[in-house]
Amino acid sequence: MNEVILTMEGIDKSFPGVHALDHVSLEVRRGEVHALMGENGAGKSTLMKVLTGIYTKDSGTILYEGREVCFASPREAQAAGIVIVHQELNMMGHLTVAQNIFIGREFKKGLLIDDARMNEEARKLFRQLNIDIDPRETMSRLTVGKQQMCEIAKAISHEAKVIVFDEPSAALTDAEIDQLFRIIRDLRAKEYGIVYISHRMDEIKKITDRVTVMRDGQTVGTLVTAKCTKDDIIHMMVGRVIYEEPKTQSRVPKDAPVVLKVEHLNAGRMVRDVSFELRKGEILGFSGLMGAGRTETARALFGADPKDSGDVYVEGKKVNIQSPQDAVYEGIGYLSEDRKRYGVVLQKNVTENSTLACLHDYIKYANIIDDAEERKITQKLVDMLKTKTPSVDQLVTNLSGGNQQKVVVAKWLISNSKILIFDEPTRGIDVGAKQEIYELMNRLVQEGRSIIMISSEMPEILRMSDRVIVMCEGKKTAEFDVSEATQEKIMNAATREISV
Amino acid sequence: MKEALRKFKNLKFVRVVGFNRVVLILIIFLMYGLFTLLTPILRNGSSFVNYNRIMSAFNYAYFIGFLGLGVTFVIATGGIDFSIGPVMFCSALISGYCLTTFNLPLWLCILISIAVGSIFGSVGGYFVAYRHLPSFITSLALMQVAKGVGSIFTKTQSVTWPSDNPSISWYRDLVKWNNFPTGFVIFLIVAAICAVILFRTTAGRYMLCLGSNKEAVRLSGVDTRKWEMLAYILCGTLAGIAAIFYVGAYTTVQPGLGDTFNNEAIAACVMGGTSMAGGSASILGTVIGAIIVALMQEGILAMGFTISYQYVLTGLIVLCAVTADITSRKRKN
Repeated sequence: MNEVILTMEGIDKSFPGVHALDHVSLEVRRGEVHALMGENGAGKSTLMKVLTGIYTKDSGTILYEGREVCFASPREAQAAGIVIVHQELNMMGHLTVAQNIFIGREFKKGLLIDDARMNEEARKLFRQLNIDIDPRETMSRLTVGKQQMCEIAKAISHEAKVIVFDEPSAALTDAEIDQLFRIIRDLRAKEYGIVYISHRMDEIKKITDRVTVMRDGQTVGTLVTAKCTKDDIIHMMVGRVIYEEPKTQSRVPKDAPVVLKVEHLNAGRMVRDVSFELRKGEILGFSGLMGAGRTETARALFGADPKDSGDVYVEGKKVNIQSPQDAVYEGIGYLSEDRKRYGVVLQKNVTENSTLACLHDYIKYANIIDDAEERKITQKLVDMLKTKTPSVDQLVTNLSGGNQQKVVVAKWLISNSKILIFDEPTRGIDVGAKQEIYELMNRLVQEGRSIIMISSEMPEILRMSDRVIVMCEGKKTAEFDVSEATQEKIMNAATREISV
Repeated sequence: MKEALRKFKNLKFVRVVGFNRVVLILIIFLMYGLFTLLTPILRNGSSFVNYNRIMSAFNYAYFIGFLGLGVTFVIATGGIDFSIGPVMFCSALISGYCLTTFNLPLWLCILISIAVGSIFGSVGGYFVAYRHLPSFITSLALMQVAKGVGSIFTKTQSVTWPSDNPSISWYRDLVKWNNFPTGFVIFLIVAAICAVILFRTTAGRYMLCLGSNKEAVRLSGVDTRKWEMLAYILCGTLAGIAAIFYVGAYTTVQPGLGDTFNNEAIAACVMGGTSMAGGSASILGTVIGAIIVALMQEGILAMGFTISYQYVLTGLIVLCAVTADITSRKRKN
């Protein structure tokens, strides 16, 4: 075994209301590829941010090359030799490859930038990595895979000793992944310490030496990859005790009418051939990891983003939804995961927000708004949903997250939507209000509406859904009745690697 | 002092009109007093207070006011329009040329003026709303087009609307009729209509909401493009109306000019409390703002300064008003 280059021990980090990291440990050796795994929100990113000085830890120690370190900024970490290759590449598309690699530390000849020397140095780096890229090429003309290799070259040029890869393969083709792995193996042979974050189980088996699993802000354990199975890892990822009672069986009769049918929906890279049915009075859970294409599916269905192909049927009738307007007309409402950006108009009051989707129903004559009627219906919804607001004239920006969510629900109830798409309905909402949102959703389906619920929280999926659809990389990978669904099965489907 | 201010802010009148507007009204009186005091000192005993001066200030306030009302809609949607001044001149040139050279009836020429404004508004609105161009660039480009089109149409001649032929000079009565300021009455009526459109109709609601968060409004199933375009059309139409009031007061229009009025109209708008960030607007504020701009111009000339001082002051007013708006927004967050 090689010597240890990096040890993180007993790392604690809290944010207001969340204990994000609870005594987390991680150990990386020279010449090792170390996988870091866990569900969304398990704490992987937070841990890496603590390592590279983006966050300051509350307690715990970081030993790097035998010395205790505490970086104040990513710049310091970089100078010491710890570099992250981000999933989203931080490149300036209009500059050349060499200019990107040496950004902020350009070689100069007097006052002018010495491009020739930068190209030469970049070429040396690529030779070292066995990569064939012209340093003079404009960055935006490279494929994502090549751009990532430039990012790796940049990391090497910083004389990195530890390189963290954050979901490097997410945007790559198979051939590019092969090349990435070749480079990673190369780096391993050169005694770099490598942390590899990924959700793709097969890759973990293929490229990594050890795997550390995190769950709910804690380290579950570290395994030697060669000696464990995929099921072992999944079990560690999801093996939590669920305190909330999961649903044991669907409340929806098998012969309930289908209110929404989606066939072979395609939209960009993130929605590929998705088909499903939604029954009357049903909560259909969409599970999967971040970037699985669930939100994209919902947005394409709702007409918020253009779709490439696919048919949508509402109550058996084929519909052509080109814009949110069409979707609202068909009785579909969408509650975005990002309420503040896509859900509410923060600087407007509760009434204005509540009637936004069906304002044309509240006019007296000549498009003049019927103020009294509008306020009356809003007040009715405020009472029904128990929205905590001093009055219907209160600006929405002054309400809490849970109450803002209720305003959005009110908007879709006033416009009489039959199908509601809840995208992460309880994100950013405190525990008490969460419970209320759950009860509200249950009441809505009892009244005969149907709900599609996108959620990254496994307990939420198991507790609320009648049926569960799992997505991975833009495709539907599984469908379960809630009576058959387990955390393991869902996680298995959510991390299934699909060959393109 | 603080307590008194708080009490004052809570008065019913102040709450309805808005604190900002109350301050502006006080500023009008202050300016008036200042000009009355300073003019005799600076101009050797000539006096500021006379009926002609007030009428002259009103003449200026009308067309700046109509431009300001129009641009209020655009700013409410989060955009800006720098073409309104030249569009107004273009409307006045084309319709005036039709009146004097083609001898078209006056009522038709007035309609032509309004139509020219609407066309410019529609073109600008189309590019901003449907092609997603920044309103800043779109309106700068249209400003050049408007200047050019007006010049080409009149063969780079200035146009003087007839002022002494009773059968085709009745447009002047729209501005002043037997020393009665009819223009002021019409201006207030149009402003009231604008206020109804902006605050009481679905169109106005959508414009204000989309100025605040366009994506949320779109995802509520509203055709945001249509309503955004409508704001620019209203703006252009009001520039066409402003043209009639400009010639009603001054009769002569020259090609290739008009851009100085952009800033004055925008100044009237932003000092009245319409936020450059979009989403909140005040029609009353724009009306008062236009009067302040006009009074300021009149005062500067009366005291014997050149019009260049007016440019400096309007520039500074825009800077101050926008700074105040942004600062108060930051404090709220």
